Amino acid sequence: MDTVMQLDDLVARDREHECEGFGIGRVCVRVVGVADLPSRFGDFRIVAFWNNRDGKDHVAIVHGDVVGAHHVPTRLHSECLTGDVLGSLRCDCRDQLETSLRAIGQLDRGLVLYMRQEGRGIGLANKIRAYALQDRGLDTVEANLALGFRDDERDYSVAAHMLHSLGVASIRLMTNNPNKVGQLAEFGVKITDRIPHILPPNEHNQFYLETKAARSGHFIDFANKPHLQEQGENILVEGMEET
Amino acid sequence: MHADVIVVGAGVAGLQCARRLSGAGRNVVIVDRARGVGGRCATRRIDDQPVDLGPMFLHGRQPAFLAALDELGDAARLGGWPRRVRGSGKPCQPDAFVPGERRTARADGLSAFPRHLARGLDVRLRTTVERIVPGPGSWTLRLAGGEEISAPDVVLALALEQSLALLDQVGGGGEIETARALLGMFSSLPCLTVIGMYGDDAPVPDFDVRYPEASEVLTLVAHDSAKRPEPRALALVFQAEPRWSREHLGVPEEEWSTGILAAAGDLLGSWAATPRQHSSHRWTYARVDRGNELTSPLLIRGKAGARLGLAGDVFAPGGGIQASYLSGDHLATRLLDEE
Repeated sequence: MDTVMQLDDLVARDREHECEGFGIGRVCVRVVGVADLPSRFGDFRIVAFWNNRDGKDHVAIVHGDVVGAHHVPTRLHSECLTGDVLGSLRCDCRDQLETSLRAIGQLDRGLVLYMRQEGRGIGLANKIRAYALQDRGLDTVEANLALGFRDDERDYSVAAHMLHSLGVASIRLMTNNPNKVGQLAEFGVKITDRIPHILPPNEHNQFYLETKAARSGHFIDFANKPHLQEQGENILVEGMEET
Repeated sequence: MHADVIVVGAGVAGLQCARRLSGAGRNVVIVDRARGVGGRCATRRIDDQPVDLGPMFLHGRQPAFLAALDELGDAARLGGWPRRVRGSGKPCQPDAFVPGERRTARADGLSAFPRHLARGLDVRLRTTVERIVPGPGSWTLRLAGGEEISAPDVVLALALEQSLALLDQVGGGGEIETARALLGMFSSLPCLTVIGMYGDDAPVPDFDVRYPEASEVLTLVAHDSAKRPEPRALALVFQAEPRWSREHLGVPEEEWSTGILAAAGDLLGSWAATPRQHSSHRWTYARVDRGNELTSPLLIRGKAGARLGLAGDVFAPGGGIQASYLSGDHLATRLLDEE
């Protein structure tokens, strides 16, 4: 990787980019747009990716110089319209996203890969169908499986190629899920460290301090709605033991 | 009578599930109320000429599915059919024409595929399941006519609504109730279908498949006889729009087939409205709409180790024959792995 290359140069670099692809799906991505994205969490830039597989516009939200950088704090976030945008309390997605953006905004550099895989890639409609079943108080483990909520279907090849395209030399992965480290490493991402992703305690997540994870990651929250674990990892609140 | 597994429905999903289980040494019985295997992957013989009346061609991209199609051999394969696609109406399955998708038809009719899957399997045709009775460690299926068969594992590989109707009678709470609630949020689309056989005076259309853009009645016209090496007669298959089909599901066959043929005349010319002979089929549960699918089959635990699986076109992404095949295959894997 050319050391003088900047984020803005990646669009021209990738214009003709084609490679063998990552993973069994032979995923190939290109950087197609880079712009400033000042936000309430700090000074960021946003990088849009095209990919040859799912027609989704995945993005990276980047703070500081990451091209060619080592030990870049990195967070993977899966799109969750209900949580990220609408402030739903049925999941932790917004807390997790805001905490990671805020933390990264205060560091020298870092990035969030925002993966457009709503409801873990099965779409908003099936996620809401799962909520509907939960509202009826039904045991939905098998149904969730059929609707698409399962850990082993997560595919990190797109994220790995995005990191490669950004020219990141190595990352420190912000996650509570050690499996993610292994999955990304399989696709050649160099991970020098894992940073536990810990939320500060507030009135909304106090229950985590008291409630233990139940079968398949369901929690019961204060709004009395069962929880769908959409980011694929257990939440950790400051003061809570990492398990 | 007793078996290791009973599969209800000899369509592509049920047959592939049974084929895998049988190959793994299980004693599998397949029952279907129809006279032949294949379910919606159907071919009718009219004066000895095959005419497809469900899907007009098969398409997919999943290696396992394509490999199964390849097992049929090259002899009657029509690779790439349809080549002459006309009209800008919406295909039943938009995925069929995206780059990388492989399309194929068969000179001997598409039912060759399910007939191939059924080879060597114990298929009981003209056998209707009236009720599934749960028991400890097994399910008992009451058949029309009074016979009973039982097995610890039962697979429902039917159209969504047909599986749901059987589930409704099983009773019981827990996972069965969840499955009912889940499937109740999905639905199939109907498709009224007319086959027209024309005399020598009819013009031969210049298309393999046409998707009319402006018709409120027709969603597809297939030039079926273009698939046959030496067709005796021009055969066209007309399939009606889901909405029109739903509105006409309850009316007598003569009425809706006349309506479909009139629309054919409007579209192709008056000759098309008056075939030499015609036949029809009412697909009440023809297919699932895009975005209306689950991602994997369901496997429900009954009492004392009894298991009830559900597979079919709604239980894999994309719908259609490929999804049916994959869901049946996936369910067999789960039944074998989770023993």
